[in-house]
Amino acid sequence: MKKNTFWVSILFVLVIFISLPHTAGAQLKPSDPIVIGVPTALGSIEGRDGWMAIQMAVEEINAKGGVLVGNTKHKLEAYSIDTREHEPGIPVQDALTATEKLILEKKPHAIALGNFRSEVLLASMDLMSKYKLPYICSIAMTPLFQKKIADEYDKYKYCFRNCLNSPYLAMYMTEVMRFLGKQFGFKKAYVIVQDTLWAQGTGKGVDKWCKENGWEVASFDAYALGSSDFSPSLIKVRAQKAQVIVTFFDMPQSGILLKQARAMQIPALLAGFISPVAPENAWDVFEKEVEGMVNFAFEIGPVPVKAVPKSVAFNENFGKRWGKDAKIKLSGHGPGPSYDSVYMFANAIERAKTVEPDAVVSALEKIDMTGVVGRIRFSKDHQVVYGVDPKETALGCGFQWKKPGTRVVVFPEAVAEGKIELPSSMK
Amino acid sequence: MLPSIIIYGLINSVILALIAMGFSLTFGISGVANFAYGGFYIFSGFLVWMLLNYLKFPLILAILVTIGVVGLLGFVTYWVILLRVRGIPLSEVIATFALGVGILELFRWMGFVTYEFTLPYLKKGMVLIAGVPVDYQRLFIIGIGLALVLFLYFFTHHTRIGLAFRGIAQNERTAISLGIKSDRTAALSLAFGSAMASVAAIFILPLGIISINTGYEVLLIAVAVGIVGGLESVSGILVASLILGYAQVIVGTYFKPEWMMVVYLAAIVLVLAIKPSGLFGKFKELEERV
Repeated sequence: MKKNTFWVSILFVLVIFISLPHTAGAQLKPSDPIVIGVPTALGSIEGRDGWMAIQMAVEEINAKGGVLVGNTKHKLEAYSIDTREHEPGIPVQDALTATEKLILEKKPHAIALGNFRSEVLLASMDLMSKYKLPYICSIAMTPLFQKKIADEYDKYKYCFRNCLNSPYLAMYMTEVMRFLGKQFGFKKAYVIVQDTLWAQGTGKGVDKWCKENGWEVASFDAYALGSSDFSPSLIKVRAQKAQVIVTFFDMPQSGILLKQARAMQIPALLAGFISPVAPENAWDVFEKEVEGMVNFAFEIGPVPVKAVPKSVAFNENFGKRWGKDAKIKLSGHGPGPSYDSVYMFANAIERAKTVEPDAVVSALEKIDMTGVVGRIRFSKDHQVVYGVDPKETALGCGFQWKKPGTRVVVFPEAVAEGKIELPSSMK
Repeated sequence: MLPSIIIYGLINSVILALIAMGFSLTFGISGVANFAYGGFYIFSGFLVWMLLNYLKFPLILAILVTIGVVGLLGFVTYWVILLRVRGIPLSEVIATFALGVGILELFRWMGFVTYEFTLPYLKKGMVLIAGVPVDYQRLFIIGIGLALVLFLYFFTHHTRIGLAFRGIAQNERTAISLGIKSDRTAALSLAFGSAMASVAAIFILPLGIISINTGYEVLLIAVAVGIVGGLESVSGILVASLILGYAQVIVGTYFKPEWMMVVYLAAIVLVLAIKPSGLFGKFKELEERV
């Protein structure tokens, strides 16, 4: 009987042990590296460039000896896994499975860059909570992320975001529209977005602002992921004489919207975010047809802003590390915050003097540092604060493509290097 | 807005017809539903892109080489893959679908996934038709669509190989008894169908980007148009393209663009429920009546 009780007790302990989530130990031995997991959509330009930026930051920190934890310096190691979540038809569960695989195999102390799709981000928050992993997201943008943290802080306190979110993007966009209204007398917009949480959310924010500020929204169209024919909307833009086409897209096919608008000679200013139009090489890729478009870099860095020297240095160093070809393809969303996130973890771990998750979370909450994107501080719901002054907040910027193929920063005014001009087709 | 709908509806219809014709030609003659069609379509786009950017071929030469290579690929596919499973429809579908997925996912694995992969317009610029701006590329698409229909008619009525195609399509056993080689004709039909996928890709892809997902979408379009019109009927393909092309533009313009894809699916369901052989299909018509 006693023997049976002994074996049952052993079995019970084993079951408990196996069922507990396993991540890297909170205590580091002197030779242990600090491991950063990077589960993201590596096939997207945002994921690809964010992962390169993270490797760059890891190399820089390791070159200086690593991260000081207590009295010992620890090297950083970063491992990625492709979640493919940017592709149409990939179920959320597949992306989560990839993320969990990385967690179980590499036992990271923290997660950086992370989810591309907001739908996956929201679901992955439970995974981070389960494994108690401090997580800084640098791509997905839904404000529901913050709501979840505010509603259930104890459960989701491990999740942070240092990239722009949809409400901040809508704020930037509406400021640009206010300028367009004042400068050119525009009052009619046409909103075209992709059918995803972040883009719909941003579009609706702009739509609401327009209605409250005397603008007319001719129509609000959403396109499924993978769509590449935008002519039904463009026909209506022309018929309804909209003056501004507001766009929010991150899918590779979206660059074609611009090409089709030019081919159909639509007399309206394109403004918003079309991911393929953000990189430096878009002028050549789209055979100069990007001229006149006002596009956003959600966070500075890929578009260097002279007023923020770190953004200029990041841009140059990225070219030195990965080559000119990689630099001219740098996407407008993700690389700057991804790079910063490694320094943020290093900073928080050094101040916490441990990699213990709760201590790192607490240190991250109090972070106040200057990065590629400007000043980095978190709000209570774990979102980095964005604004128009890089000395006070992190910064995104609007730029306009102008001859002979340069991206001129036109917004915010505090850091602008030029003014918005109408494309020749509208003059 | 009406002139825009008429013109862009027509362009959309021709695009659908161009996509579906190669698929229909192969099925009509050899009875093989080439589910690698989307893979061949995207392979054509990437091949032209690589010839232009890596080997610096002139555009016309890159186009001709690509059409030839993809046609040959279709021919080889028949002898290497399809010959062993010929006559077992399910195996044919699985084999060709696997080949198509293999091609598409190979390109994904090789990193051909971003916005940089675009093909140049044959000629830049536009004209106004009834006050509606239409770029030259779309006019080329209409032209090539009409040319292909005429070519197909001439080819299948006035050439030896074309007549053999029709013979096999009408009654394979009788055709064999008259000396027409069934396997060779079927391989040629796959080569022709693949080359037509290539032509469609070369003219349509400059309007967008070369995206892996387009390969899957193209297959859906080819199947949808084929089911609505009748898989083996060229006239059925043309009528179905007009119906679906205009329906899409009208739905996108007057309702919501995100419902445009639903048009294909709704059409497939409707036709399968009412007339499974398609509007002009003959293959199963007798069984349906019975």
